[in-house]
Amino acid sequence: MILVLKRLFICSIGAGLILPFLIVAGVSVNSASNISFPPQELSMQWYTQLLTEPDWLLPIRNSLIIAFFAGLIAVTIALAANYVLWRLKSGFGKLVFGLGLGPFMLPPIIIAMGASVFWAEMGWYGRAEATVISHGVFFVTLPLVIIARGFAALSDDVIEASRTMGATPWQTFIKVIFPLVLPYAITGYALVAIISVNEYLISYMVSGFAVETLPIRIFNNVRYGYTPVVASAAMGFALLTIGTLLVLSMFTDLLKLLGASRD
Amino acid sequence: MGDPIMKGKAVPHMIGLFPLGMMSLFFLAPLAFMVVVSFYERDPLGFYKVAFVWDNYSKFFSSFYYVISLRSLWSASLGAVIVVLLAFPAMYIIVDMSRRWQLFWVILLLSLMCLSEVIIGFAWLILFSENSGIPKFLGWAGLWEDPRSLSPSFGAMMVGYVTLGFSLVALMFLPQLARRDRSIEEAALTLGTPPMRVFSKVILPNFKAGLISALVTMFVYFLGVFVMPTMLGRPQDWNMTVIITDKAVGDANMPLGAALSVVMLIFTLIIIGSLAYASRTREQGERS
Repeated sequence: MILVLKRLFICSIGAGLILPFLIVAGVSVNSASNISFPPQELSMQWYTQLLTEPDWLLPIRNSLIIAFFAGLIAVTIALAANYVLWRLKSGFGKLVFGLGLGPFMLPPIIIAMGASVFWAEMGWYGRAEATVISHGVFFVTLPLVIIARGFAALSDDVIEASRTMGATPWQTFIKVIFPLVLPYAITGYALVAIISVNEYLISYMVSGFAVETLPIRIFNNVRYGYTPVVASAAMGFALLTIGTLLVLSMFTDLLKLLGASRD
Repeated sequence: MGDPIMKGKAVPHMIGLFPLGMMSLFFLAPLAFMVVVSFYERDPLGFYKVAFVWDNYSKFFSSFYYVISLRSLWSASLGAVIVVLLAFPAMYIIVDMSRRWQLFWVILLLSLMCLSEVIIGFAWLILFSENSGIPKFLGWAGLWEDPRSLSPSFGAMMVGYVTLGFSLVALMFLPQLARRDRSIEEAALTLGTPPMRVFSKVILPNFKAGLISALVTMFVYFLGVFVMPTMLGRPQDWNMTVIITDKAVGDANMPLGAALSVVMLIFTLIIIGSLAYASRTREQGERS
């Protein structure tokens, strides 16, 4: 009885999480020019439109470029902060690490509002660089926490062995420490890039309509009358997200990286 | 013995200046600017005029903002409670599945966590619409005589909240639940305690701190969501975030938007501070 209830509960949760995407997928391959489900006649025309019309291509390009650089910024900050905490284990290390946790503790609107005012004051309001830096700094918490697991898993014996064999501190970092934390850094990078691609509020508050990203484009389309191209755009990015995570799971131990098994 | 990696601590300190500088400049400074701008005056021809006025804050105490604030608190609290009530037992079941199924769930949850609010909102918008989703299906199945669109509504907005927060909370519980000591539960089950009783009397109390932390995290997160209320909610369901965005960007009234954000920031800091204080007091109590 308990087993049946458990299965029923978990299947309902799974259905609730998957169902919306099945519907969007169905709408995106429907040939009808209005949003309707189930599809009457299958067609890829909305995907073709998505990948050929500049109105959609430009936001896609903007989103990808912003995500690429935001991921680099976030992982660089996270790596440096973790290294400092691991090496110093002092108040300074904790301060640097704690600052990185800050953005995750505040409602997104506060972060977005602060960024908006700051970039307006700096004269960078409406520039893609402002969105890149804001995304890089505000999503730093994810790689910070994930890379921390990598540093926690470092064995003192390996470091000691490297030193005993005559490696310089720099060589030890490059040849021993970095390769060991690299899977964690890659996972952190991928997550920041994916979240940045899909982020709406900060992009909108920092760049407004000057740098239109895909979520801004989709939101505006939904709000002011939409076509099935929106569904193909939503589905395209959902598939990109799932695809990236599947690739990641093939090359890394996702369960371990997320703390589901002991390091 | 010397230092295992580098002699002295100058190099790590210098490396630490990079994240410290970046976070101070692009995280703390924007918050400080926001506080400063909240005292400025609106400039219809630009962003704002430098001034020192309390007008923006006094507006918060008008009934309009007061009501919206209470509404934001209500929807964020309700959303947080529902998400935690669903995510905790779900993850409790998932961590005991085979490795392959665990991986499936983790990828599903990560995918959902990474997806845009906009895409999730859009998906539910279709599901709730009269022509495509649940109402049409219920009409076709003969369960609803006069099917109508289920959104915008408070219920639709809550569904959006739950979809948005579920993956985050479930993934927060993953390490704690997966690495828990199962021997106590096994002992209770061996002694004949029903599984539901083991869950409520053994597991839940053990994860009290984690549950409270997840509740607060979700509450704070839901205070700041924008897309779900605007996409799935009615205007009377809109939260403070929608109003802040509307004032700051729509009406180009940055000072008012900043003041309302500062109020929200203070409120959030009080919650986080109280939680930290409560957990410290509890730890001290347990130690003594």
